[in-house]
Amino acid sequence: MLNLIRIIALFALLSAAISSAQAPLVEERILLTFVPNVQFAPFYVGIEEGFFADAGFDVTLEHLQEPEVLDLVAVGQANFGIVSGEQVILARSRGRDVTYIFEWFQQYPVALVHSDALELSDLEQLRGLKVGIPGRFGASYSGLTTLLSSAGLTETDIEIKEIGFNAAEVLCLGAVDAAMVYANNEPLQIRNLAAAGDCGEISDVEVVTVASQVDLVSNGLIVFRNLLDAAPESAARMAFAFKAALQSAINNPASAYLASLKYVDTLPSDESLVAELEAAAERQSEFLASNPDRAAVAESRAEMLQLLTTQIDAGVLTQFQVLLNTIGLWDADQLGVSDLASWEAMRDTLGLMGFLGDDLGDLSDAFSNEYVLDSGE
Amino acid sequence: MRLSLRQVEVSYAGPAGASLSALGPISFEVAEEEFVCLVGPSGCGKSTLIRVLAGLLRPSVGAAYCGDELIDRPLPHIAIMFQDTNLMPWRTVLDNIALPLEIAGVTRAKRYQTVRELLPQLNLEGFELAYPAELSGGMAQRVALGRVILQQPRVWLLDEPFGALDALTREKLSLELLRLRGRSRQTIVLVTHDISEAVLLADRVIVLSRRPGKLIADIAVKLPRPRSADMIYQPDFLRLAKQVRACIEDQRD
Amino acid sequence: MAESDLTPFAQPEKSRAIAHGAILRRLSPLATVLVLILIWHWITDWRLVSRILIPPPADVLDSLAAALADGTLAKHSTTTLGEMMWGLLFGVSIGLAIGYAIAKAPLLEYILSPIIVAFQSTPIVAYAPLLIIIFGTGPSSKVVTTAVIVFFPTLVNTIVGIRGVSPRLRDLMLSLNAGRWQIFRNLELPSALPVILAGLKTSTTLAVIGAVVGEFVGSGSGLGVLVISARSQYDTPLVYVTVFTMTAIALSLYSLVALLEWRVLLWQRRSA
Repeated sequence: MLNLIRIIALFALLSAAISSAQAPLVEERILLTFVPNVQFAPFYVGIEEGFFADAGFDVTLEHLQEPEVLDLVAVGQANFGIVSGEQVILARSRGRDVTYIFEWFQQYPVALVHSDALELSDLEQLRGLKVGIPGRFGASYSGLTTLLSSAGLTETDIEIKEIGFNAAEVLCLGAVDAAMVYANNEPLQIRNLAAAGDCGEISDVEVVTVASQVDLVSNGLIVFRNLLDAAPESAARMAFAFKAALQSAINNPASAYLASLKYVDTLPSDESLVAELEAAAERQSEFLASNPDRAAVAESRAEMLQLLTTQIDAGVLTQFQVLLNTIGLWDADQLGVSDLASWEAMRDTLGLMGFLGDDLGDLSDAFSNEYVLDSGE
Repeated sequence: MRLSLRQVEVSYAGPAGASLSALGPISFEVAEEEFVCLVGPSGCGKSTLIRVLAGLLRPSVGAAYCGDELIDRPLPHIAIMFQDTNLMPWRTVLDNIALPLEIAGVTRAKRYQTVRELLPQLNLEGFELAYPAELSGGMAQRVALGRVILQQPRVWLLDEPFGALDALTREKLSLELLRLRGRSRQTIVLVTHDISEAVLLADRVIVLSRRPGKLIADIAVKLPRPRSADMIYQPDFLRLAKQVRACIEDQRD
Repeated sequence: MAESDLTPFAQPEKSRAIAHGAILRRLSPLATVLVLILIWHWITDWRLVSRILIPPPADVLDSLAAALADGTLAKHSTTTLGEMMWGLLFGVSIGLAIGYAIAKAPLLEYILSPIIVAFQSTPIVAYAPLLIIIFGTGPSSKVVTTAVIVFFPTLVNTIVGIRGVSPRLRDLMLSLNAGRWQIFRNLELPSALPVILAGLKTSTTLAVIGAVVGEFVGSGSGLGVLVISARSQYDTPLVYVTVFTMTAIALSLYSLVALLEWRVLLWQRRSA
């Protein structure tokens, strides 16, 4: 008995010594857009699986509108934020000095969705049709402008309808012929509605992604300029931690979904779903131990979904499917790297929209791959 | 016009479904051109009775008649005047007095002319464009009086019209009322809690019991007309006043 | 909904105009605005706050001049003003009609109040997207959001106003054999007017909110759109210009009703 107490005391002493030897974690806020959602799974994974802590950060997440995220990072009220690349270009043209150091979405997430009855073989056929977008701002508008311009059209050739974030409903009501949506989310929802017969005359939809036409820079991590100057290694550590978390989410979506449950209240969390996901996560990590290549992992994700669909109700599984679709937009051989061409394509699109301010400066100052490449070593 | 009440009773639904009797049963008649004062302890149903005569309240039992006509709604030849002057604060003196003509559809020019002719009698010259809130209590009551006169009613129902005024003003206005009534000799029913006022003005004083008000005395006042303020010191007057007071006090056990 | 719940929005104030005080009082808001602009200028001049967050007044003024010159401001203001006017027209008329009906028939209050209170206590921002889906993405949905938001103050103040009509004056009108219309025209309307106008003042300021909330959800034109679009282009001075334009529109409409009130309610000032 006495021995046991001694052992416990010794153990407590030892663990206290170890933890005090570690440097205290630095508190960092990461500003995200939208609302808590399974699409932010890499951040949940980063916190829950300790990737941020290992890099020395105690991360808290906040959700704001995109321009607010950018402005707060520009003035240093937060060091890190997630915005789309176009925001970086726009903001820099109006005196905001932020730097984009990690491209999270490798594919521009926006797409045009329309009823398959429309039979749109060429984007040129959009001429004269009604296209819904949330409003003349943000990624959907940029995406539409890019699509139109790739087909040699301008927005005067179509009829734009500002429909807010109601694409599914408005399309199903037949008030628009096509709508700009997020490729990973709405098409799935509309297909579910259509399958249930709740989408008017639409029985299935077709999706034309912007990425299939033009490579545009997409969402990524931005950093407060002064932090880059004063403590570049801190930015590199954050990029490294996020890259690891992102890779983990890509490799094991079941585990990523489970990590998200704590953060996303609206995420389905039925007992049976959680049990199946836990089993799937365990199987997946065993499989990952064999160091499979990217294609093999992608295949394993598809198998995971296939197995789950036999066990779980489709409605409950929708958000997991959204996560898998989104992973498709993240996955790449080299995570985090953006290339100048995609920035230039975006700049040209913004120029077409007449949105650019006067002092754009050098585009190569807007982003840097050096932190993600450094951190990879 | 002759007024008559036949077995009139008014009751309200009280708490727990009980019926609360407010008035009656009561029957009496007011002859054509007669001036009757109603007196009685407060809450005896005097005002309820006036509202029945005005056609603003349907009796629960019995009926009231004006001549041979059943009073089941406000009748055009019956006018009513309340204790508060009941003027419209957003209307000038001119428009307040002219209200009955306006409702009757008389043109603006014509009704203003009629009112202006009446103003000297009411001692309201120069106040045509004043609002009620700018008037003294006595003046406001004269505006209300003017409004009743313009209605040219055959019957006047007066519910403590001067009750809110001081004693001297009240007396002055009461006599003015008699003077304005002049030769047209309408039938008047006046509710008052002032015994001297009742005796000074009335041909008959009707005394009501406590709630629910029933008729307990009907006293004829045989004083000569025209009446004047100094009559109140005459023995006949004092005797009558005493008699009325006794009737009221008898029921205070 | 007991009568005590129906507190009117902003009681009509009674004030006696004393020449000096009145002029001083008129000028004091202007002075406040000037002082605020001066403080604002200093804050940006001394760089107490980043110019990214708060642009200098001069930049905002330049932006205003530009937006006026190229017609941007006029175009979007016209849209919003139009939506507000139609919304006010519908919301206020319906509020007056239902308010009058409820005041006259208390049974209606029991039937309607759960719906009305539910509508009122649910934030319009939350269900505005639904209205956009139902009424379309054009101006009509903004007219609806405006009408919904201005409806309630009108309704409540109409109920309070009509219920506040003196029963003795009602008796008087009845004894004069006044018809329904005459009672409405000569008694109920003038009697309830001060409270109804006070409600209308509240409604006009809310109308801007209604229109802009609707535009925020999805619209092609209007000041709400201009704010979002200026914001998304990081044109902060233009955001300020747009917000101040909304303020100016709200203030102008408010003043217009106040002027109407001043003209119509002469008796109230004289009676004070």
